[in-house]
Amino acid sequence: MSIPELLSASFLLIGAAFFLVGTIGLLRFPDVYTRLHALTKVDNLGLGFTVLGLVIQAPDALAALKLVLVWLLALLASATGNFLIIRRAFDKGIAPWMAQERENDP
Amino acid sequence: MILRAILWRGVLLAALWCLLTEGRVDSWGLGVASAVLALAASLILLPPGSIRFSLAGLAVFLVYFINQSLRAGVRVALLALRPRLNIHPGIEPVSLRMPVGVGRVILVNTLNLLPGTLVVDLAANHLYLHTLDIGGSIEEEVRVAELRIAKMLGLDLDDEP
Repeated sequence: MSIPELLSASFLLIGAAFFLVGTIGLLRFPDVYTRLHALTKVDNLGLGFTVLGLVIQAPDALAALKLVLVWLLALLASATGNFLIIRRAFDKGIAPWMAQERENDP
Repeated sequence: MILRAILWRGVLLAALWCLLTEGRVDSWGLGVASAVLALAASLILLPPGSIRFSLAGLAVFLVYFINQSLRAGVRVALLALRPRLNIHPGIEPVSLRMPVGVGRVILVNTLNLLPGTLVVDLAANHLYLHTLDIGGSIEEEVRVAELRIAKMLGLDLDDEP
């Protein structure tokens, strides 16, 4: 395995790991707001590393730039979509989950 | 002024089409039509002269943005993996100095990707941010993001509210 191939495979694996953790966050976090934190931030990093891994394997510069463009557009769509979902939730009066202050905890 | 804007944006959109088709020439008919429509939309939505785009500002912003995205992703990933969920979420209002327009749109999208903040609502000169850790240094982060975006777009920030 050559060095670029190894680098590309590592980036793809890191990307996949971020997607996995983002999904774990989506399942574990308590409400719509915190879940969106997990989705936007972690998944964008997952896509970023996936694109980075693929750029290394791209046949030419145009294909590589196209991959970066895909990342940018996905980023834009995700940030905008998130804002729309969260504002709707807020308008509907969904109260954000609050941590229970457990002062008697050991 | 307006001719320069048309020329620059036209070249940019044509380059975008070239990128999307990976340099193939057989679909340029559709490409030219799309580029012209996109150009018209861009002139309506963002009239020439409303921003003074700075390339150096863009470079500074990109470095800042990628750095912050990494921090944000790693931080939320670690929070998600903790055996005992240790988050103290809440909603905080933060004052806004970015003028209405494209700057605000970019600011909201950037804050959504910053560590620990999501924009919940946008009022006349206030942002409502949902954070994973209430009582952090959120206001400072918003100020930095505002400044970087204002530099990139050549916008003046409003006075301290």
